[in-house]
Amino acid sequence: MATKKKRTSNVDNDSWVVIAPDSAIDTHKHDGDPVFVRLRNPSTDAASLYMLGCGDVMLYEVKAFEDDFHSWFVGQAVQRDGRLIFVTPLDPLFLILPYLIKSGKEGKFQRVDQVVKDEEFPACSRLLSCARTLASLHHIAEEKEVESQMYHRYSQEKTMNWLKKKVERTVIALKKKNVSVGEGVKSSTYVRVKSETDNQEEDFIRYSHGLISEYITEDLSKALLTHLGLPELTSPKETEPPSKKRKLSDKPVEAGEDYTKFNSADFARKPPKKMTAAQKSLAKVDKTGMKPMSSFFSPKVKAEKK
Amino acid sequence: MDLSPFEDDNSVSCRLVSEIPEVCKTEDCCLGIDEAGRGPVLGPMVYGICFCPLSRKEELKDLKVADSKTLTEAERENLFEKLDEAKSYVGWALQILSPNTISTCMLRRTKYNLNALSHDTAIDLVQYALDSGVQLKEIYVDTVGPADKYEHKLSQRFPGIQVTVRPKADSLFPVVSAASICAKVSDQSSAGFKSFLFLNSLAIRVVPLFSLFPDPKTKAWLLKYLDPVFGYPQFVRFSWSTAQTLMDSKAVNVHWDDDEEDGEKAAQRQSNKSMLSYFSVSAGGNDQNATHQAHRFFTERRLKSLNTL
Repeated sequence: MATKKKRTSNVDNDSWVVIAPDSAIDTHKHDGDPVFVRLRNPSTDAASLYMLGCGDVMLYEVKAFEDDFHSWFVGQAVQRDGRLIFVTPLDPLFLILPYLIKSGKEGKFQRVDQVVKDEEFPACSRLLSCARTLASLHHIAEEKEVESQMYHRYSQEKTMNWLKKKVERTVIALKKKNVSVGEGVKSSTYVRVKSETDNQEEDFIRYSHGLISEYITEDLSKALLTHLGLPELTSPKETEPPSKKRKLSDKPVEAGEDYTKFNSADFARKPPKKMTAAQKSLAKVDKTGMKPMSSFFSPKVKAEKK
Repeated sequence: MDLSPFEDDNSVSCRLVSEIPEVCKTEDCCLGIDEAGRGPVLGPMVYGICFCPLSRKEELKDLKVADSKTLTEAERENLFEKLDEAKSYVGWALQILSPNTISTCMLRRTKYNLNALSHDTAIDLVQYALDSGVQLKEIYVDTVGPADKYEHKLSQRFPGIQVTVRPKADSLFPVVSAASICAKVSDQSSAGFKSFLFLNSLAIRVVPLFSLFPDPKTKAWLLKYLDPVFGYPQFVRFSWSTAQTLMDSKAVNVHWDDDEEDGEKAAQRQSNKSMLSYFSVSAGGNDQNATHQAHRFFTERRLKSLNTL
């Protein structure tokens, strides 16, 4: 008897296949090991996994390639978790922005270490010790120095300009990597004679904006769109076909075949007829040119003499 | 019989041939096709052709190449020697399909069943004879599947040659008996584990091979050499249900993306809509996902954010 295959969810395993830059695991320059931390994802407002390099100098985001039906052969072992985890550098400003925006509503200058606080994710204060953070805060906030103490206030205008630069840089990277950004499907082997059109430029900017939007709040994303001078895309309304004119008559109109009755809630879909696992695997076999079993049991028909 | 070409690399199929007798290139010939080793869960399947001039068909009878199933192994070897001695007018060719070939053919995404594989192998061998310059006029085949269909297929493929497909052909036509002896001899010498080296360095010597069909002895052997991850050595035909049921119950489950799921579940996974939903009055774009949809750069590349390792 063949047993039914059951898909169990990934059990806890103690190893992953990770691709990380050397800088993330280079323990020579700084003290401390690289560490995975959970921080607030600026786009979803939920927990996401990040990594802080040695000595908290660099911030990395963690993404996983995850597709069905993958496993790894690692050395002499098999690992059922077929994920490939990427650790890639990330600008810490993206994670600090939401905190600044929140405190910026009060309109006061504040010290960043007072602002970047989160009871849920206490690790966020470590973002401030990243090499790039303090040096680049002026991109998104106004600065004031009082008695050799730095105070900051969120600035929407500065942030927009900073994000616009990010988008432009991303466009350059997309072009360099030849990423397909258009709506249609493009063949990579078919070379166009015509050079790229202006329309494509907008496609690139839109695509790039969408990518950056993965790292900022929805409000910022919308504001950035207008800042880039791109109109919001409106999905084409589904135009209802005009209802057919009915012939006027006194009798109530009755459809010959009423398909709509199948849509009522009490019409439950019948589960498909259960087949045993053996029957299922048999049904899959290519049976062309094979005699059915039953033909062996039928009474012998006199073979035609040729 | 020398099977060294097959033993050098047994993961693919290989062809062994005799020299083509000169007489076959000038006179009209007949050719017989037979197979051996169709049923077992272990070892290769062998296809043999044997051809000789029509004028000397009766001489094969004198060699007493009767139905090979009635002969012992030693007698068969003897007869094969005799055939080899008659090489002035008898030629043969063998195609040894390794168990690995059989497994991969039958377990492909697009299924390629044993009958189709058999037919194609037979056609290849006949074509080989034609390419070597043998003047073929008549072909006799032991049937695989419905005889008339097979006959039609072969006639279409080789116009101008008279094709006869009969069940039990190996006892009716001496030339088929001869072919079946060639096939059986090589099948036994390879399947008899005379020296079968597995690619996965699992050299096993199991003395006399079991009966044709999966019997208790074979099953015990299969159970003993079942690896939880890899299943079996290449000597086993994975596509046989004997092997499959053992693997399903005793080995680790492996899921492929063309495994069938229950219709409903698969539809859900591929987010297919029920046909019925097209008949309902549209509620006006109710397919808006409340959840955050990642940008297509990430979804196209199957990249996800993690929240825990």
